[in-house]
Amino acid sequence: MDGPDVGWYLIVAAILFGTGALGVMLRRSPLIVLLSLEIMLNAANLTLIAFARQQGNLDGQIFALTVMAVAAAEVAIGLGLIVAMARRRVPLDVDQASALRG
Amino acid sequence: MTIGPWICLLAPLAGAIAITVAGTRISRSTAAWISVLTTFLAFGGALVAFIALWSADPSDREHVSTAYTWLTAGDFEVKMQILLDTLSSTMMLVVSGVGGLIVWYSMGYMHGDEEERRYFAYMSLFVFSMLMLVEAGNFLLMLVGWGLVGLASYLLIGFWHHKPEAIAAAKKAFVMNAIGDATFALGCVLLIAATGTLEFGSVFDQVGSMSTTTVNLVALGLLGGAVAKSAQIPLHTWLPDAMEGPTPVSALIHAATMVTAGVYLLVRASPIFEAAPDVQHLAAIIGAITLLVAGVVALVQWDIKRVIAYSTMSQIGYMFLGAGVGAYGYAIFHLMTHAFFKALLFMTAGLVIHHLDGEQDIRKMGGLRSLMPRTHIAFAVGALALMGIPIFSGFWSKDGIVAAAGSSNDTLGWVLYVAGLVGALLTGLYTTRLYFAVWRGEPSDLVKAHAHEGAGEGPRSMTIPVGVLTVLATIGGLVVIPGVWEPFLKWIDATAEPLVQATVAEDYITSAIAVALALIGFFVARYAFAAGRQVVRRPAIWQVLEHKLYFDELYDALFYRPAAALSVALRRKVEEPIVERSLDEIGAGTIQAGGEVGRVQSGLLRAYAVAVAFAVCVLVVVFVAVR
Repeated sequence: MDGPDVGWYLIVAAILFGTGALGVMLRRSPLIVLLSLEIMLNAANLTLIAFARQQGNLDGQIFALTVMAVAAAEVAIGLGLIVAMARRRVPLDVDQASALRG
Repeated sequence: MTIGPWICLLAPLAGAIAITVAGTRISRSTAAWISVLTTFLAFGGALVAFIALWSADPSDREHVSTAYTWLTAGDFEVKMQILLDTLSSTMMLVVSGVGGLIVWYSMGYMHGDEEERRYFAYMSLFVFSMLMLVEAGNFLLMLVGWGLVGLASYLLIGFWHHKPEAIAAAKKAFVMNAIGDATFALGCVLLIAATGTLEFGSVFDQVGSMSTTTVNLVALGLLGGAVAKSAQIPLHTWLPDAMEGPTPVSALIHAATMVTAGVYLLVRASPIFEAAPDVQHLAAIIGAITLLVAGVVALVQWDIKRVIAYSTMSQIGYMFLGAGVGAYGYAIFHLMTHAFFKALLFMTAGLVIHHLDGEQDIRKMGGLRSLMPRTHIAFAVGALALMGIPIFSGFWSKDGIVAAAGSSNDTLGWVLYVAGLVGALLTGLYTTRLYFAVWRGEPSDLVKAHAHEGAGEGPRSMTIPVGVLTVLATIGGLVVIPGVWEPFLKWIDATAEPLVQATVAEDYITSAIAVALALIGFFVARYAFAAGRQVVRRPAIWQVLEHKLYFDELYDALFYRPAAALSVALRRKVEEPIVERSLDEIGAGTIQAGGEVGRVQSGLLRAYAVAVAFAVCVLVVVFVAVR
């Protein structure tokens, strides 16, 4: 098997996931939150592909494609929401969108 | 042979169903005619059965006709069967005959009532139930009829449902009767356990093989049912209140038929009672007490129907006395003559009430004789029969019971004998008091106010039945003349052999004493009336009697108040603090917990993200640790 050891891929994936998670937890702009989500999904994809390669099994790669499709759909909705918020002049700040407080 | 009884049984049922199903599609008078004609058809059936039985050989006078098997449980079977013998055919004639006359009379009495159809449906239902009771071939069917007459009585007492007193009276009658129904049912259950059957014939054959305790308990259970249905002490308080119902109902149910069902049961089940002589004596003692108590209470009542109601209790007391000492023939004989003259008294009272637009207080009556001369004669005949004046029907039957009690020649017999004679005196007193208060003296203001209407005394549908009953109350007793001609007693004896038999001399001596006492009662009451005062003069005694010896108050204190207090206590101590508060607390606790938990829902997206991340970390640690 060529290329770096699977451990390296996992490290990169962990860094990406951590970056994404921190982005979701710390940033207030919905656009950035959405971007961070995508980073997390891609970290997961990277993991899937790395393991698929290591195992010599294509299931993981197929699953990564599915994740991408879901991510695309999710981004379409998320961006749609953000555009709708902007049009209605709702402040683009996730902390202020707290109408569901118990 | 058995087609007659089946027609007799089913015709009134068909009438009740037809009126109910037809509803408002038929006119009120059509409903009335259906009821009258089906009841007379039942009488026709009873007559056919009677004639068939009469012409049959004396040894062949007991027929059981089974329609189908009703219930099966292992070896135990109850069949839909009727029993035709001399006793049941007599009862069928009395019930359907007097019933037909009274239903006919109702046409006039209830005319114009908005719910006439309902009334006649109930009346037909009652006649059917009563015939079911007397024709039943086993104890369970009898219990069915027993319960159904209670239901019909409840429905008819409360017929005028806009009157709160009528509703209360109906409920009281139903509850009191339910006590008796329960003891009757318990007796039946014991019988099934002891003999495995409820058919009269098989049960009576096995009486000897039952243990004394069982027989006594069964007899007590049956006696309880009889006492409640026949309004004997201590379950008598419902009958006077039942007078809230329409007067024909009082005549039919609460005088002529239903209340005498207890006597019928005592005679029908006589083999059981004979095996439990103590219980049978108890029945006689209850009868004696009731006839005295009801007789004295009747002396102070002001309501015309209540006086007659107490007199009914008193006369049924005589029948219990007769059945209790074993004079079955005389008990049934008195049942029959009583049905004639008491129905007559109620119906003439109904004519008076009808004429005076619903007034029942005898203080407002008086001098009605000039206004309603023919009704007066009918009432006088009924009163004479009730007092037991010779040739009138009550004379032949009542004295026979008293004489039979005396002829048993033991202490109990003599006590009962004296009680019966004192009862004759009381009967004379209260009957005369009622008669004079209503008919004699100067016409009262109320009577004068109604005098101008006085062309007729009532519609023909009311006066003809009264006329027929007047004749029956006069000559109905002539089927028994002691020592000369006793076909009625022989007829009943074929079914229930009497235990005691007074000699002819005893019969006539007793009659002489009883008539003398009744006449003394008559003259005392007449003297009191002429002097313008009451028979009972001591205010203290009057007070006690007016409260009916405080039976209602006693039951109130014994049963109602403890039950009510218990209910209130249970509500205060259990329902409110435990049940209700626990529910409240569960609700309040849920709301409070929800409020507390709700705070976690901050609405901050990032907080949720942190929570999810934290939870994932924890789960990872847990999974790793567990592995």
